[in-house]
Amino acid sequence: MIEQRIDIDALVVGAGIAGLQSALDLADRGYSVLLVEREASIGGKMIALSKVFPTMDCASCITTPRMSSAAHHDNITTWTYTDVDSITPDGAAFTAKLTRKARYVDEDLCIGCRLCEYACPVELPHEFEGNMGARRAAYIPFGTAIPQKALIDIDGCVYCGKCEKACPTDAIDFGQKPVSVTVHARSVVIATGFETTPLDAKKEYQGGVAANVISALDMERLLSPNGPYGRVLRPSDGKIPDNVAYVQCAGSRDETLGVPYCSRVCCMYAIKQTMLLSGSLPLADITVYYMDIRAFGKGYEQFYQTARSMGINFVKAKVARIEEEPNGDLKLRVEIIEEDGRVSEMAHDLVVLSVGLKPGDDPRRFIGVDLDQYGFVASPEPKLDATLTSMPGVAAAGTAIGPKDIVDSIMEASAAATKVATYLGPPPNSPQPADDGVQIDIREIEAGDALAVAGHSEVLRG
Amino acid sequence: MAGTPTETQATRMLVVATLLCSYPGIDATGQAHMEYPPNTYVIPTPDPVMFPESFYLHCFEKGIDGILIASCGTDSPYEGSYEQLAARIPKVYAQMKARGISIRRLKLTAICSVCTKAFLKEVSDMEAVMAELGPVSGEMTAVTA
Amino acid sequence: MAERRSKPKNQAATTAAAPATPPEVVLPVLAEKVGVYICHCGGNISDVVDVDKVATEAAGLDGVAVARHIMFMCSDEGQKAIVDDIQALGLDRVVVAACTPKLHEATFRRVLQRGGMNPYLFLPANIREQASWAHPHSPKAATEKASALVRAAVAKAQMLEPLEKVRVAAVHRALVIGGGVAGLRAALDLARQGLGVTLVEKSPFLGGRTTQLHTVFPTEDPARLLVHRLIAEVKAQPNLTILTETEVVALTGYVGDFTVTLKTTPRGVNAELADRQAAIAACPISVANEFDDGISKRRAIYQPYPGSEPDLPAIDWASCTRCGDCVTAAGGRGIDLKSDPIETTIETGAIVVATGFDHYEPRVGEYGYATSPRILTLPQVHRMLDPEGPTGGRLEIDGRVPRSIAMIHCVGSRQIEDVDEPGPDGKLHEYCSRVCCTATLQAANQIRQKYPKTAVYDLYRDIRTYGRDQEPYYVDASKAGVVFMRFANDARPTVELSDGADFPLKVTVTDTLTFGTEIEVPVDLVILSVGVMPRDVTGLIEMTHAPVGADGFLLEVHPKLRPVESAIPGLLLAGTVQAPMDVTESTSAASAAAAKVTALLAGDHVEMEPFVAKVDPSLCDGCGLCLDACRYAGAIAMQEVEIEEGVLEKRAYVNPVACKGCGACVPSCPVSALDVAGWEIDQYKAMIDAITAEPLTAGARS
Ligand SMILES: Cc1cc2nc3c(=O)[nH]c(=O)nc-3n(C[C@H](O)[C@H](O)[C@H](O)COP(=O)(O)OP(=O)(O)OC[C@H]3O[C@@H](n4cnc5c(N)ncnc54)[C@H](O)[C@@H]3O)c2cc1C
Ligand code: SF4
Ligand code: SF4
Ligand code: SF4
Ligand code: SF4
Ligand code: SF4
Repeated sequence: MIEQRIDIDALVVGAGIAGLQSALDLADRGYSVLLVEREASIGGKMIALSKVFPTMDCASCITTPRMSSAAHHDNITTWTYTDVDSITPDGAAFTAKLTRKARYVDEDLCIGCRLCEYACPVELPHEFEGNMGARRAAYIPFGTAIPQKALIDIDGCVYCGKCEKACPTDAIDFGQKPVSVTVHARSVVIATGFETTPLDAKKEYQGGVAANVISALDMERLLSPNGPYGRVLRPSDGKIPDNVAYVQCAGSRDETLGVPYCSRVCCMYAIKQTMLLSGSLPLADITVYYMDIRAFGKGYEQFYQTARSMGINFVKAKVARIEEEPNGDLKLRVEIIEEDGRVSEMAHDLVVLSVGLKPGDDPRRFIGVDLDQYGFVASPEPKLDATLTSMPGVAAAGTAIGPKDIVDSIMEASAAATKVATYLGPPPNSPQPADDGVQIDIREIEAGDALAVAGHSEVLRG
Repeated sequence: MAGTPTETQATRMLVVATLLCSYPGIDATGQAHMEYPPNTYVIPTPDPVMFPESFYLHCFEKGIDGILIASCGTDSPYEGSYEQLAARIPKVYAQMKARGISIRRLKLTAICSVCTKAFLKEVSDMEAVMAELGPVSGEMTAVTA
Repeated sequence: MAERRSKPKNQAATTAAAPATPPEVVLPVLAEKVGVYICHCGGNISDVVDVDKVATEAAGLDGVAVARHIMFMCSDEGQKAIVDDIQALGLDRVVVAACTPKLHEATFRRVLQRGGMNPYLFLPANIREQASWAHPHSPKAATEKASALVRAAVAKAQMLEPLEKVRVAAVHRALVIGGGVAGLRAALDLARQGLGVTLVEKSPFLGGRTTQLHTVFPTEDPARLLVHRLIAEVKAQPNLTILTETEVVALTGYVGDFTVTLKTTPRGVNAELADRQAAIAACPISVANEFDDGISKRRAIYQPYPGSEPDLPAIDWASCTRCGDCVTAAGGRGIDLKSDPIETTIETGAIVVATGFDHYEPRVGEYGYATSPRILTLPQVHRMLDPEGPTGGRLEIDGRVPRSIAMIHCVGSRQIEDVDEPGPDGKLHEYCSRVCCTATLQAANQIRQKYPKTAVYDLYRDIRTYGRDQEPYYVDASKAGVVFMRFANDARPTVELSDGADFPLKVTVTDTLTFGTEIEVPVDLVILSVGVMPRDVTGLIEMTHAPVGADGFLLEVHPKLRPVESAIPGLLLAGTVQAPMDVTESTSAASAAAAKVTALLAGDHVEMEPFVAKVDPSLCDGCGLCLDACRYAGAIAMQEVEIEEGVLEKRAYVNPVACKGCGACVPSCPVSALDVAGWEIDQYKAMIDAITAEPLTAGARS
């Protein structure tokens, strides 16, 4: 392994929307930032979403500009496909050991022409598309990926060499080795994001078994204008669904699953998806089985009421069990709470599980911060300084500290930038604070300055 | 919906829209896929108070058959600009009359950033005016100099 | 108007010599190498608009050097195409026909910069929101419209001139308005990062609404201790001035350099006051105590709670009669009844608005409110449950613990047209107040714990204990025997006084949890979980022109991406002034606002968009009519310029920092010497000419 060493003001781990925002705020302030992402593109989960509640902006359209500004910022260095092995305090700073994984493509030479992709004969399931649709072994992660650089999935590669021949810049390099890098960072932001709770968490829902029981994240891809099929089809047979069910809290608010907390976003994304579905499948019946609809953010309740008035069927109910029929349809045993717990059998041809949010990584693998019992980064001052961690100089933001939506992630990411900037102290050549020349401060009043109390103008300086 | 396009669409509508209020409101209309006829052309402006009377006349001369001024109304971010704008409209009307142009072809409206329905209504009203009066070219009296 | 005789900053104004003969009409020199890019938006545009046709037509226009259509213009690939063309073809203007400029104008400006061009030589054409999405069923007409919009953009682009940002020397201080948790948090973060900070609080005490709570959910930290910890840190900052009883009364200027006039009312009391108890006891006045949400009384000289910040009583001048009894009781020391406010003026680079929220005050009769002392609001009950509160923590009505209590959620929140009547402010409060569910259950659990014999009925629509540690309140309440009843989206419980009956109140609810049964609940006390309301900050809104949302809260630039910035540059939002939030969320928002302020004021200058008025000195004849049209002090003035060797004449001069770019001056000029840079009348005319250049063909639906 080759060794590199660099010095940096802030190391941001994770380049989802939270990591991007922290990096941008710090860089705008004049600090040097290294933004590290384990995947081959920055953007996190948000870049894979269809549209975002409640504005219904296309997710790609509002994420790509952020990705692009971070990637092009003078003060930000972005490393994708990079693992963090350890971050240890080292005097007033931190020593971070990182591994830049082998892409088998020289990033400096690759121009993103995709000729390797077109040449590669191997088809593999496309993770970005929720494994619906296919990609090649040599591929660019997805259309709006940043950087637009190819990589080779060496586990799927059959070493035919076609990509190597096709590449106009000789960027393909099967001999590439992982590079280990030591970074001296004066501070750290943990923005390692979330994973969804497993589709098969509740065995009785047949997630991962029945083909037409899908995760809401897959539905995001189906609803994306650039999704795997370009429209909403059900996976088992490509039929256009006409009776879709959403099962809320599928993996959250359940002590037995180790996820007793509410995941905060699944009510809202379900409402959003039902609205998008009723646009693309105007004839379909759409039912949401829920316990409580938690539309608590700015403009969210109004969004929920709009969905209701559009004819989306919201039913307060517990779904006990889902069974798959031979034709791929699904039978739901539902305890309808509004009707005194009557148990009904409901037929649907596609079921979306509103999966919850759990930590995207275990930060303890590489850094000694305190976590809460669910594995989210814990703040020692949760009410006044939610983005602090147990280690001085280390802040955390976004879903790494608990489930939350995009706007709350962005807010925290900026807050985390403030914490780090405070810790670092002003960058060199920062201007001096201005004095306001006012002297009736409460501290002087408390000190008994009678003039200050009376507020006569003599006390005013200047 | 304000209406699907009519078969006879030889007319054009201009909408001058304020950047802060109306333009996002019109965007929101499209974003919600609320349809309106495609013979509408929206051009942004910080504030329509900037247009002199002659600008409107120029538009009619070039074959714009109806103009909606989509302002912020009294929510204008600029002090007193709505009053100034409203005071100019009668002057534009006077010049339009002098040229034989029906003053119904110009309307001052206020469209906010969430006013999608109001926008559709204004468009369909102006479409109706244009359909009734026909192209402006048939109406205008020539002027010399 | 006083005229300054300083040298105008406007270069053009000083260098242009007036021509001896009237100027000939000079046709603008048009750019000749426009690059045009049409975006598919992954089908969002190209499914309706024939992008190939639009590109082909654009390629045929005069002055267009290249026209392409690309899958995602905003992607790296799209951006790179522009940069490559700038470098390879020497483009002099760029037009991108894609989504609304609100999304990507800034993105593409930066692309031009990367390519080595002036960023203001970019022009967008909106063919998504205003073509493909608005006319999905008329592809032919939408394509024609898109072409016309591209023609118009090219025509204007050809006339664009390079612009430079207006730069203002930045004052390295921030003003924070509001001394609640959000304001305190913002002030502390800013001061610690090396800015000067002025924190102003309208009331005589710091800490805001949080100090009215006993503990905060979900940590159950003692609320006042929590806030006092924050205040102690704030007070330890050397560059931070804290002014209580202070309001902003005037505001001028712009980001980087606002001038703010503050009005401070004297406290009336200072540290020399030896026996505050005696002074307070001597006061003959009794008024409703706002700190206890009206359930107790206080004097005109008062302190909300012992150890308040600052730990000194204050005089409420509105109710004080200047009788002097307190002064006598204090032995003449430590109290001064002179209440004349003083005004001070400060300069500040940015302003953080953290003015907080009000509790929704129900209409008289709304769920029986104000018709019985047994119908209280949740904040009032929180005060009663506070061991340091007016009742010492006892929840008693007429000296008796209520045997049964009904708590009603969503009062003044989630209101629906035709189901709810508007609030006393005449508005329908459609939003969810976010904090009341957890706060209600927190109180319900406390009541069940303290008074196990008291039955608690919780009437709700949805329980929104959304935070990670909030769900336990719901679980605990169920375990503690709180009886939940749920009313439907479009039905509301009623509260009636049942005089003479065993229980003085009767609550009727159609409970959807039990088959829609109508249930009558006899109770001793009804608690209304009132929502969070935007506080009335009309004065501030008028001074700053900050936009307000339909819900009455101050509006952010973008609800997803830019939640703490207002549309007014340099004006940031922190906490519940923007939307309902809990303490954690408010302090995070405040820290986020601090990040934006420090980035704005990071350098010696703040940069602003260059879209301001400009004078063509060769046309201006100094008539001065534009001065009357402009409403902004100092934006446009007359200055003497040397138009010829030794000949001084008056010419209009625009101060680019004070000018707002509204264009009100433009039509006032009889010789058309004025324009707003980037929005020139001739450019508009060229757009109209381009739109009308081709006859319409797509009359029929296609
Ligand atoms: C189905 C679904 C729909 C949603 N819809 C919406 C919506 O419409 N509106 C909305 O506001 N919110 C929505 N959300 C929530 C939204 O996705 C999240 O709020 C947001 O993406 C969180 O951003 P983040 O940066 O915290 O996490 P992530 O997006 O998960 O980003 C974390 C990043 O860190 C990387 N990473 C993790 N560990 C490491 C490591 N050790 N080293 C380096 N990199 C690492 C990950 O690869 C990832 O790129 C939705 C969520 C789901 C599941
Ligand atoms: S060598 Fe591997 S990656 Fe390259 S084309 Fe062949 S299979 Fe694909
Ligand atoms: S062919 Fe070569 S240059 Fe083109 S994308 Fe593949 S690796 Fe990159
Ligand atoms: S947000 Fe809604 S679906 Fe998700 S866990 Fe909470 S209540 Fe359940
Ligand atoms: S938080 Fe609960 S009580 Fe408050 S408005 Fe929302 S749903 Fe109603
Ligand atoms: S553009 Fe507006 S602010 Fe500027 S000088 Fe003209 S009238 Fe005044």
